[in-house]
Amino acid sequence: MANYKLTELMTIRCAREISDGEVVFVGVGLPIMVAAYAFATHAPNMIMLTEGGAIRATAPQALAITVDDPAAFLGGDATFGMLATMAALQRGEVDVAFIGGAQIDKFGNINSTGAGDWSKKESFTYFAGSGGANDMATSGKRVLAIMPQDKKKFVEKCEYITTPGFLGGPGEREALGMIGGGPDCVVSTMGVYRFDEDTKEMYLAEFFPGQSVDKIKAACAWDLRVSPNVIETTVPTEEELKILRALDPTGFYLG
Amino acid sequence: MADIDKRMTLKDAVSKFIHDGDVVYYGGFQIHVPMALTHEIIRQKKRHLTTIESSTDVGGLDLMVGAGCVTEIHTAWIMNWYVKAPYAIRRAFNKGHLKRFDISNFGATTAMMAGFMGIPFMPIRGNIGTDMMKHNQTDLREVVDPFTGKKTTVVRAWRADVAIIHAQKVDRLGNVISYGTRGVTDEFGANGAKRGVIVTAEEIVEPEVTRTDPDRVIVPYFKTLAVVHCPYGAHPSACRGYYGLDIRFSQYQGRYERHEELLPAFLDEWVYGCKDQEAYIEKYKSKFGQKGLDLLKPKLGFAPSPKMGVDYGYHDPVCWKGVPMYTDDRLDAFEKALAAKKGGK
Repeated sequence: MANYKLTELMTIRCAREISDGEVVFVGVGLPIMVAAYAFATHAPNMIMLTEGGAIRATAPQALAITVDDPAAFLGGDATFGMLATMAALQRGEVDVAFIGGAQIDKFGNINSTGAGDWSKKESFTYFAGSGGANDMATSGKRVLAIMPQDKKKFVEKCEYITTPGFLGGPGEREALGMIGGGPDCVVSTMGVYRFDEDTKEMYLAEFFPGQSVDKIKAACAWDLRVSPNVIETTVPTEEELKILRALDPTGFYLG
Repeated sequence: MADIDKRMTLKDAVSKFIHDGDVVYYGGFQIHVPMALTHEIIRQKKRHLTTIESSTDVGGLDLMVGAGCVTEIHTAWIMNWYVKAPYAIRRAFNKGHLKRFDISNFGATTAMMAGFMGIPFMPIRGNIGTDMMKHNQTDLREVVDPFTGKKTTVVRAWRADVAIIHAQKVDRLGNVISYGTRGVTDEFGANGAKRGVIVTAEEIVEPEVTRTDPDRVIVPYFKTLAVVHCPYGAHPSACRGYYGLDIRFSQYQGRYERHEELLPAFLDEWVYGCKDQEAYIEKYKSKFGQKGLDLLKPKLGFAPSPKMGVDYGYHDPVCWKGVPMYTDDRLDAFEKALAAKKGGK
């Protein structure tokens, strides 16, 4: 069996959620790595959009460090700016909104604003803020999220909802007129999650090699539902790893 | 046209055009961050500034907050990505020294677009259903769409008093030339500014040169207050075609941002201790060597120039002089009959 890092497993697993030909709005962080890998493997016809405003039908020549990195724009198809890519989101033309965050709850709401109670200013720990994640998750047809997991990060209810998942449950997105379908898949540092069609609650669909359902439940602050068909995530092959590692020669994303 | 030469020093630009209590549009995003202007604002100890921008990286705004210049920010995203947090902002918020108004990236862009267009507010799809809506009623509200009767989120128009931006080129009149990856909102934030724009640029070009490629101008001269020739004016962020992002310096600066007791030492050495941007770059060379700057030189696809020639050529409309109207029998007969009918009434 191939030796691989957790970041490599997460990247390759996430990429499987992208189908060839889809319009993917790529957020900052590991999503950039996933997009580069998807382009290089099963999704050469993917269309990549970034917050900085790059629209591209081909993989970037060099690995972008951020979403506004000139490397993401080099050789792009259109580089009109954020107005063009975010407008595509608002028109409902984005298939996959691919985001990260710091904290997620059982309905897939995401917090990237800060830890603690915002109204208690003296103790609130600010993170960077929404960035484009809120816009992406409001209007993208489906949301793919990549998250670190422990009990403080997988919570019953986010301390601050920056980015809407299913909010308080079924029907709430629709009632607010959101055009996007909401969270579809979450890939954490421990496993893969999907959302129940009726309850909109997140459930465990796959556990990573070396993890177990019990360990994952212990790293989740609510009583996590587990799919009766839960499986172990397929490990990356040598060939997949070779392609992936060549895309990040300095280990900026993969470590 | 009046040929007003707006070139001046960084020091004069900031002392003349930025006043305590101003609302400032802060340019760039992860590139073209107006760092030389940031340092000068800190040096001149400007106070009680409010900033508006959509997202900003490399810690420029974190330094301004840490140095006590900024007391209110409206933003979607602020940090120094290379240390993964906005440390000085976090501390200032905790101490009650900073008011922070959160909004999504496109919410901020839309707010500045409304300001750019001179209208009071604009609808937006995002932000609804979140805590940003709850805590930032200053910028976000819900209204009823008068056409459909449905609830709609709107953002208030943002208009700065003055905008600070960095660009590749500018002419002495103040026509700002920015291209490639110019950040995301400079055209909206800058043009929407009430008093005008302060621009630093890598190069000063002649207005005659600007006028050979006016499509590249994102801010026209009449909006510009001050033009500052300032190589490396966005360092450590990138300026496309000139230099890339200096990750190592951003990480270095970020480690100072992280610790309240260390940040003053960074400001003393790199801001107060340098009289201008030239001195800052000299300081960089003496501390980290010319090789650090050499690493930033463009290598991928930046040169020489686009393969597609762009020809702005056009015919001279004077050529129509003496050319008779095009017509035919059908048109003549129809128009004649119509005239006769009207005349008959």
